[in-house]
Parts: sequence; C-alpha cells; structure tokens
Amino acid sequence: MQPSPHTISLLLADARLPSGGHAQSSGVEPALLAGMPVADVPAFLRARARTTGMVDAGTAVLARHAALDCIPMASIERAWAARTPSRAIRDASKYLGRGLLRLAGRIWPEVRSSLDDLDESPPRPLVLGAIAAHAGIDAESLVRLTVYDDMACAVAALLKLEPGDPAHGVAMVLEACSSIEPHVAAVSSITSAHQIPAASAPQSEAWSEAHALTTRRLFRA
Amino acid sequence: MPDITAANRALRLGVAGPVGTGKSSLIATVCRSLADELRLGVITNDIYTDEDARFLRSAGVLEPERIRAVETGACPHTAIRDDITTNLLAAEDLERDFAPLDVVLIESGGDNLTATFSPALVDAQIFVLDVAGGGDVARKGGPGIGRADLLVVNKTDLAPYVGVDVPQMVADASAARDGRAVLALSRSDVASIAALRAWVLSVLDSHRRGTHVPQDPGPMAPHFHADEEHPEGGFVHTHDEKSGDEHHSSAPHQVRSHSDTRK
Repeated sequence: MQPSPHTISLLLADARLPSGGHAQSSGVEPALLAGMPVADVPAFLRARARTTGMVDAGTAVLARHAALDCIPMASIERAWAARTPSRAIRDASKYLGRGLLRLAGRIWPEVRSSLDDLDESPPRPLVLGAIAAHAGIDAESLVRLTVYDDMACAVAALLKLEPGDPAHGVAMVLEACSSIEPHVAAVSSITSAHQIPAASAPQSEAWSEAHALTTRRLFRA
Repeated sequence: MPDITAANRALRLGVAGPVGTGKSSLIATVCRSLADELRLGVITNDIYTDEDARFLRSAGVLEPERIRAVETGACPHTAIRDDITTNLLAAEDLERDFAPLDVVLIESGGDNLTATFSPALVDAQIFVLDVAGGGDVARKGGPGIGRADLLVVNKTDLAPYVGVDVPQMVADASAARDGRAVLALSRSDVASIAALRAWVLSVLDSHRRGTHVPQDPGPMAPHFHADEEHPEGGFVHTHDEKSGDEHHSSAPHQVRSHSDTRK
C-alpha cells in the first residue's frame, strides 16, 4: 500500500522531518541581526512568501513536471539560480535540498534518478518538485507546501531568537500563507522556465549575505 | 551516490557531556596525541556556532581547515540525535575534502545529561564529566553516563580544590555503568592521556576490522509513565535494549578504571 499523497504532504511539512531544517531560519535571523524590528516580522514573512517564496514554488512546480516527463533538471536549476541572486541564499537552499534528498533517496530511490543530472546538492524546490512527482502530490498542494514549510521554519526560529507567544507565531504563519492564495492557481499552472516568477527581495538578500559572514549565529541562514 | 560502508570510511567518534566539562579540551588532547600517526578531522556543534571551532583552531593541534563548525538552530540535542542531517553532511564533506581520514571527532554542543549521539551519526562516543561539576554527578546516571562507550571523569587535577574523591567518583561511575570503561583524565597526567590514546586506537582498530558495533546509549533515562488503569498509578520503564548490553561486552575496552592513576 502506498501512503496517500496527502500524507506525504503532511510529512514534508512537518518540522520534525529529519532533513536539516532545524538549523535554518528562513532569513529571520539575518533580518533581526541586521536590526529589523521584531514587530516587522509579519510583514517580512508576507514579503518573503510573495517574492522568493513564489520563485521557489514556481521552480518546484516545474521540477515536478520535469520529473513526471523524465526531462533533465539543469535548465530549471539555472532559471532558479538566476532568480536567486544571493549566493548565501542559494547555498542555504542547496544545503536544505541535499539534506532533503538524502532522506528522500532512502524512501523514494526514483527521486534521486530524477535529479541525477544535477550535483549532490540540488536546491530545495527542485527536490520538493521531484518528490511531489513520485509521491503523487498535485501542483497546487506543492505550491502551498513550498511556502508553508519556509514560513513555519521562520517562525520556529523566531521563537528561539526573540521571546514571544508561540500562538502568535502560528497566526503569523497562517497569515503569510493565506496572503499568497490569490497567486496559487497561476504559479501551479506554469509549464516553462520563463514563467517562473522573478520577484527578488534585495534587502533580505543583503541581510543574508552579511549573516553568512558573522561568527555568532544560531542558524545557517 | 554510492554508499560508503561504515568500515572503510573514517571512524566517527562523538564527544558529548554537559557544558564546561572539557569536551573541546579533550578533543585537543586526542588530536595532540594522535595527529602524528592518524589523519584527523573535527566537527563542532556550538550553540553560538563557532566558539569551540575557534578554540580548537587556535590550539594549533590540527590544520584549521580540518576543523569545521555546524549550526544547531539552538538545539544541540536535536542536531546529534533527532535530526543528524547537518552533522552527517559535514562529516561526509570533511571525509571527502581530506580523504582518506582515519577519525572524525564530533563534539556535541554542551547540553544536559540526557544528550547522546545517534548511532546513525557516530560509531562510538565518549561522555565527559568533570570533578568540578561535583563528585555525585556520576551516580546520577543517564544514558551517556550509563552507556556511552567511554566515560571520562575530567580535570582530576582540580579534585583537591573542589573536595572530590576521584577514586570514589570513578567507582560510582563504574557501578553506574556495569563495569563499562571509565577513565579519570587530566591533561597534566601523562598516564591518563596515554590511556585515552590507547582507547581511541583500540576502537579504531575494531572499527576497521568491522567488529565494532555502534551502540545507542538511548535517549532517555528510566522514567515513570502515569497510567490510571495501572494499580500503582503508572509504571517505570526504560528504553534499554538487552542486545545493546551484549554488544557492549564484545566491544574492546582496554581502559580499566583508572582509580590508581591519581594519588
């Protein structure tokens, strides 16, 4: 018996999934270290979901198509990298992708084959897309999963960085995720690389670049 | 990606224990005593990321590039047990960048008595206590004290100043461990360093021969479960595996209780 695609979605969104996510902050630690007020975190999350979140979600959708059609992924990775100008953020995504692939390869060996034209560290959205293809997760669920996981990671890290009510964090995750609902249908229906959204977040990217050079940090990025 | 078998890659040796017991210093000691004959690498798990790595680099016991720090997301316990991904990737990278390595030492972030390494991350582990933490800590037990491959009672040179009876602490530790290896260590006690060195070499030897079986000290001490159905309101249980004890008896433990190394 195969687990339901819905169950796989829940598994991938679970913060306890042992794939390295606990050492990431989705840009929150870089932002706070750079002096962004904690009160701005909800706006930061909405902006992240709408910009880099959509880049990743569109990339994942395309990777899902490529895995289903047995098409090489290299051009999708290049399209993603072109839309992710910060090396620190690309490195963090590749690190997350490598950890996720390490786990996914144990459960679904075919996920590894779908990514075998890339190096051992494919960016996270490409690994998510390949898993979605093999686990039967539809494109809309994949878009929501890609954004939700990033937001939940941010808020879990926030609770370790600043005192606060955990319930408030949950509300922030839901607010940020619901803010992208008007875009889910469009992003989940893209079929070629030029359609991947190209909205970057220059301030956040600059913070991540600076964060990568600090010696006292709790999170990788 | 072809899986490298455990026996033909470096021995991954974990060093765990509470904050301030001398984990970094012990790693520096191991490096100093073995760097001439073994190819070593070190991974540190700090809370604020690279404090321990910087200490080790500044100690000059190893090329700085062979010492790497990983982020733990403020959860040193998670990083060595529940989600070991970050440490596994760092170990693989280190082993690839400096191939072939003989031993990769992985230092946990200082945590409490319950933090031990997953056997999926390390082949063997050392749990470090120190006399300054109090002579009674060894009696308190816990998975690391009870079942790590080696328990080190560190900083024995401080014992006279903190009123701890080292032979008694070692005897308590040996009792808590059913006779598993205990080493009273001081960086100023040459004989104790030689014993530590010999222990590492013996584990490496059995790792290479494929006879070493990684142990899991277990995540939890024996604990109480409330149960209203139970006549006594609940029950005490452990997560011990009997087979774990059998593995232990076949593991090499040349280190004896060194209650005689300190006068």
